[in-house]
Amino acid sequence: MSIQTLLMELVLMPLVAFVVGLFMVLMLRRIGAKLQRRVGPPMMQPLYDIVKLYGKKTQISHGWMHDIGIVMAVGGYVAAETLLPVPGMDGIADKGGLVTLVYVMMIPSLGLALGVGQCANPNGSIGIARALTAMLAYDVPFVIVVFGVAWYFGTTNLVDIIAIQQAGGVAGWGAIAMPLLAIAGLFALQGMLGKQPFEIYIAPAEIATGPMVEMSGKYLGGLFVMQCFQLYTAGVLYVSLFLGGGENWLFFLIKVFAVVAIPMTVAFLFPRYKTEQMIRLMWKWPVMIGLLGLAFVMH
Amino acid sequence: MKEIDNPIEAPVDQSRTNPLARVFDELVRFCRSRSMFMLHYCTGCGAIELPPAMTSRFDMERLGIQPMVTPRQADILLITGYVSIKTLKRVILTYEQMGSPKYVIGICSCTVNGGMYWQSYATAKQLDQYLPVDLYIAGCMPRPEAVLEGMRKLMDRIRSGEADGWKDYYRRYDWYLGNQQHLFGDDWQTPADVIGEASHYDLAEPGTEGEHTRLLQQCQKPLEPQQTFFQIGGSLEKKGESHE
Ligand code: SF4
Repeated sequence: MSIQTLLMELVLMPLVAFVVGLFMVLMLRRIGAKLQRRVGPPMMQPLYDIVKLYGKKTQISHGWMHDIGIVMAVGGYVAAETLLPVPGMDGIADKGGLVTLVYVMMIPSLGLALGVGQCANPNGSIGIARALTAMLAYDVPFVIVVFGVAWYFGTTNLVDIIAIQQAGGVAGWGAIAMPLLAIAGLFALQGMLGKQPFEIYIAPAEIATGPMVEMSGKYLGGLFVMQCFQLYTAGVLYVSLFLGGGENWLFFLIKVFAVVAIPMTVAFLFPRYKTEQMIRLMWKWPVMIGLLGLAFVMH
Repeated sequence: MKEIDNPIEAPVDQSRTNPLARVFDELVRFCRSRSMFMLHYCTGCGAIELPPAMTSRFDMERLGIQPMVTPRQADILLITGYVSIKTLKRVILTYEQMGSPKYVIGICSCTVNGGMYWQSYATAKQLDQYLPVDLYIAGCMPRPEAVLEGMRKLMDRIRSGEADGWKDYYRRYDWYLGNQQHLFGDDWQTPADVIGEASHYDLAEPGTEGEHTRLLQQCQKPLEPQQTFFQIGGSLEKKGESHE
């Protein structure tokens, strides 16, 4: 691969992720509206929101850590996008591998923790403490799932994992070979996206949107951008691990949107759990299912 | 009346060097009008008309209006009904924390002229003496249709750039502050430095400062950061000593 193509892919992949992510946010809000028998927001609403937030006259910064926190939150996901292969573009996926990706996906939460810490708002601190606790909860099943998949395919290289699945057709998909791990993965996905019943750290009625409480203007805009990336990253990762990645863009997008639609649909049917309930549930069921799946895979 | 008393001059057109500046302004104004985060400060009985306006029947979200929970994130402040004097203090604190451009909507007759609480000693009669109201929606109480109609009106005004009440607050801060002091007493102060903000946005005009702001500066107590002490393990020993 020449250096020009590589550079172009490094720019294009986050850009594509952002555009797809905008539509995912739209889908999230439309699904919510449909379940509540409303019309829902217009097509370009996520973009309007972001442009408006960046166009605000007042931009309140609480210090340079606050600024850097947001940059880390968005930047962590931008880095993650270059490690996620999409049809026609591999970026640096075959150099990074699954383990790097899992690490990089933790950076946004940590960046947010630094940024929110400087806002010195108690609601924000509670929110970020809950977010990190939630990360502790869903990372255990998540790591089991990632380990199981890597063991089954005998590699941590996402490009190879996708190639092996595609060689076997639909029957070769990870979800067919490892159904238990795929189910545990769905649990982890729900927690990772912070959707109800695991929406413990946003909780508008309880801690006033937690980490977002002191964010205004472009800082909130940055978090909205981050949300687009977050939905995209989680969806694409799941598709790459279990649904054979993308043969072409059409199938790829259909799969990714279908995967992301699951947690969103579930979300609007549930209230919110308490933090300790979430940990107990996450460390019990998905871990048990995941370990069982792992046992099957290893035999 | 307000406009006749204190004529507001059109802002001086600063020369913009970027040839695309106008297009850009237009885009931002359009997005502002299509995406409004609202903080509904439910002061009075009119608040009861907001849930139907937001939920399935009338669905505000299709206009891009959605509720937000903190003043920092919000664009529009809905005052839904009579404001008692105690509430008004909180409303002003909230308003001053919101990020510009910000808009205030007064819902209900009580915000227009005191409504049926005209004779009450404890309510503020006319909201626009204390805050720059961009739009009134009259009625006791206005139906959700009227609320949505008002919102559409506000959207039009934002798009055409007319809804600039927030600038008025900076330009005539002295007058607003005077009315606030009249209600709350001479030692009324908020954490926000409105005069500093006004000069930051280039909106400081003769009406920004005056006798009332001077009174504010006389009575102002400096705001100090709150002291917090952490106590771990029951004793507050210094680290060095406990090691010895
Ligand atoms: S106008 Fe009527 S409904 Fe509205 S706050 Fe006043 S009394 Fe209540």
